[in-house]
Amino acid sequence: MRWVVLFVCFLLMPVRISTAQRATEDVAPAGSGHEHHEHHGMQMDMDGMVMNENYDQLPRDCDKIAGEQTITVRAGRKYAQQFNGAIFAYDQHEWDVAPCTKVTVTLENEDMVRHQWMLHGLPRYLHPEGMFHVEVNGRGSKTGTFITPGAKKTYLVHCDVAQHMEKGMKAQLKVGGGSGNLPSIPGITAARYPETYAGATGGWKASVLLVLVLGLGLAVRGLRRWG
Amino acid sequence: MFSLHILKIFLFVVLLAATALFVPRTWLPLSLQSRYAAWFGEPSYEPPPGSQKVAIQQAEPFCPDLHPEWRKKQEIEGVSIDESLACTPDNPWAIAAFVKGTNNVSMDTLMKSGLAADAVIMGEDKDGDGDPDAVTIKLEVVELNGRSPDIPEVIPAFFIAPGIQPGLWVFAPKIAGMATKNADTVEANEMLRAPSPVIRVEQGDTVQVVLENTHYFPHTIHFHGVDHPYSHHEGHGNDGVPEANELPVMPGESRAYEFSQLAQAAMHTGHGEVDPGKRRVFTLAPRHPGTMFYHCHVQPQHHIHMGLQGMFVVEENRPNNWVQTLNIGAGHVRHPSVAVREKYVREYDLHFQDIDSQLNDLIKSTNDPRVLEKRMNRQYNITKRSANYFLLNGHSFPYTFRDSLVVVEPNEKVKLRVLASGEDGVSLHPHGHKVKITHYDGVEHNPQAQITRDVIWLSMAQRVDLELNTTNDGLHGTGEGVWFLHDHKERAFTTDGMHPGGSASAIVYRSYLDHQGWPKLQGVDWSLFFTPQYYRREIPVWTTYDPTGMFGEPDTTTLRLGRFVLSGFLIGAFLGGFVVFQLLLRKRG
Repeated sequence: MRWVVLFVCFLLMPVRISTAQRATEDVAPAGSGHEHHEHHGMQMDMDGMVMNENYDQLPRDCDKIAGEQTITVRAGRKYAQQFNGAIFAYDQHEWDVAPCTKVTVTLENEDMVRHQWMLHGLPRYLHPEGMFHVEVNGRGSKTGTFITPGAKKTYLVHCDVAQHMEKGMKAQLKVGGGSGNLPSIPGITAARYPETYAGATGGWKASVLLVLVLGLGLAVRGLRRWG
Repeated sequence: MFSLHILKIFLFVVLLAATALFVPRTWLPLSLQSRYAAWFGEPSYEPPPGSQKVAIQQAEPFCPDLHPEWRKKQEIEGVSIDESLACTPDNPWAIAAFVKGTNNVSMDTLMKSGLAADAVIMGEDKDGDGDPDAVTIKLEVVELNGRSPDIPEVIPAFFIAPGIQPGLWVFAPKIAGMATKNADTVEANEMLRAPSPVIRVEQGDTVQVVLENTHYFPHTIHFHGVDHPYSHHEGHGNDGVPEANELPVMPGESRAYEFSQLAQAAMHTGHGEVDPGKRRVFTLAPRHPGTMFYHCHVQPQHHIHMGLQGMFVVEENRPNNWVQTLNIGAGHVRHPSVAVREKYVREYDLHFQDIDSQLNDLIKSTNDPRVLEKRMNRQYNITKRSANYFLLNGHSFPYTFRDSLVVVEPNEKVKLRVLASGEDGVSLHPHGHKVKITHYDGVEHNPQAQITRDVIWLSMAQRVDLELNTTNDGLHGTGEGVWFLHDHKERAFTTDGMHPGGSASAIVYRSYLDHQGWPKLQGVDWSLFFTPQYYRREIPVWTTYDPTGMFGEPDTTTLRLGRFVLSGFLIGAFLGGFVVFQLLLRKRG
C-alpha cells in the first residue's frame, strides 16, 4: 500500500539530483557500507529523508515565485520542558511565510531518535497525499524545499512518529497570515479533547458535590426572597 | 364512629383484593403460582414471545487479499523468499532487506520495504564463510491504539480481532515515514503491529541492538536467555535491568546492546553511567544457538504485558548463512536459516501472549504521561490481574487465520518455535497430531529422551522448539485437513469470554487451502465471527446453526412491556383511589 503510493510519487515528481552526503552512522560495525540513496522526488540516506520536494513547479494560483524564505526548526525532548505533560516538541510551533514563496526548511534533530517536520494540505497535483516532509533518523539535520501556494491558509505541521504529535510535536505554518489556528498546538491553542485532571480522588468528587448543593441552596433561598 | 372504622377497614381489604387481581401471575412467589391454578383453574395458553430479529452487520471479508502477489515464491536482491500461502503474507521486499541489510539493497527495494535506510545494517564477512558476521538492528518503541487530543479515535489503529483494539506498545523496526498507512487513514503502518518482531541472528556474530526510544516513557531491553555480557564494552549496562544494571533509556534517547566475544574480553564492571544524549549500544555475540526471548525490563509487570516483548532466535553457525534478521508479526519464516533447512521443510514462529485490557486500555484514558504514570504504576494492581484477550502473533481468532496458520503438506517435518510470554502459560494442543519437543528454552533436549505428545505446557516466558511430522501414521499425524491448533486453557480460546476467539489457529494442509490462503471449512458459517457485534455479545452464538431461531433471543421488548405498564397503572390507580377516599373521609370527619 505504502510503497504503491510512494511509487506513484516517484512518477509524479521531477528527478532531484542531490549532493551526496556522507552518513555519520556511529554505531554501524566498521566497514559496513554507508550508501547514499537517491530517488525521484526524494532523497534518502542513513541520516534520514526529504520527501516530495518541490523547488521549481509553480502552484496553480501563483504567477511567479515571489521570494525565498528559510526556516530552521530544532526538534527534541528538551523543547518540551516548557509545556507541562509534553514529551517531544519543536523550538517553535508556528511559522509565518508569504504566499508563492520558495521555503527551505532545515530540521535539526537534537534527540537520538527519529523526528519529522511533516507538512499536510499542499496541492495534491504537486505533492502526493498533499505532503512534504523532512525526516532525520537521529541527531543531525536535513534540508528540503517546497513552494507555498497563493491562498491564505494554515497548514498542519507535525511529527508522525507514533505519539510524537500527541505528546507535543504539533505546529502550524501560516501562509499569507493563515486561516485561523489549529487545535492542540503547544503554547497556542487548547486540545480539542482536553484533559480534565478530574476523578483522581474521591475527595475531589465530594467537594464538587458539596459546592453544587451549596449553590443550589443559595439559589433557592435567593429566589424565595425575591419572590 | 366505630362503624365508620369498620367500613374503612372493609373497604381497604376489598380494594387490596381487587388490586391483587391485577398482579401478573409471574410476580407471585412460586408457591403461590401453583396454588393460583388450583384456585382459579389453569390459565389459558399465551404464546411466549417470538425470537428477536437481530440486525447482523455486514461481515468483514474473511481474507482482505491485499497483496496476492506477495504470496508467490520469489527472489529479490538475490534472496530466495519461500512461497507463503497465508491470506496476508509478509512483504517480500522487507524480507529481502532484513536478510541483506537495509544498507545492501537497492533504493527501490528499500522504498517498497518501508524501512529506514539504517534499520538493519549488515557488516563484513570477517571469517570469509560467505555471510556477514556483524549486524546492527535498530528498534523503535511504538504505541498502538493510543490516545489523541485531536480525535476521539485511538491512533494508530491496530485491531487484534473485529472491532477489538487494546492499547499496545511494541518494539518495531525503524521505518521511514508515517506511523499510519497513509495521510488519509488512522490505520497503523503494516510494519507497526503486535507482536514485537522476531529477531534472528547467527551464532557467533557481533550483534548490536540499538534501542531508539521513540516513546514517551523510559524503556530498556533485557535479552532473556541470550548469551550476552553483563556490561557493554563502553561501560554501561547490557542486561536491561534498571534496578541492577543500567539506567533506563529515556524518551528521545537511544542505547545499543551488544552480544560479542570482543565485548566480553573488554568488559568493564560498574554501573554504566552514560552522558545524557550519547548513543548507547547493546552488543551481543551469542555463542549458544536457540529460541530465546527479549523484553523491556522497566516496570516489567506492565511493560511486558503492554507488548514490549518478542522472540529472539540464535541460528546455528553455517557457511553462506544469511538469516532473516526480523520476522514482522512472527509466523512463517520465509527465508529459513541453513541449519533449519537441513532438517525441516518449513519453519513457523508462534508467539503467545495475553492481555488484561484494564491495564492496556489505560493509555486510551489520558494524554498526559504524568497521569498515565500514576494510573499504570500506582493505581493498576497486577496482583488482581485477569487476562481477557489471548493473542497468537499479535492477533486473536479469526484474524489468526489470516497470518498465523501453520500450512503444511503431507510427509514433511516442520519446525515450530513457540514462546509463551503471557501471565497465564499456554497448554498448546494440536488437533490430529502429536509433536516432538526437541528443545526447551533454547537447549536441545536429550535426543534419546525427547518426548512426543499432544499437550505441551509452556510456563511463563518459556520457549519450546517442536517438530511437527505430517506423516499419516496414526501417531504423528492422522491425515490431511484443517486441524485446530490452540491453547487448551479454555479461556484462551475466547476473546473476553466469547468463543471462538483467543489465540486459536490451525494446522492446515495445502490441499485444504483456497487460492486466497483461506481454509476450505466444512463447519458452520464464520460470518458472525467477522463482525464486532459478535464479540460485543449482541448476537446469540448459535444464530447461524438454525435459521428458524430455535436459539434466538426472546423478544421481550414490546407486548410484555405494555402488559406490565397496564398492571402497574391499574394497581397505582386503585391504591391512589383508596388514599383519596381516605382523605375525603377525614375531611368529612
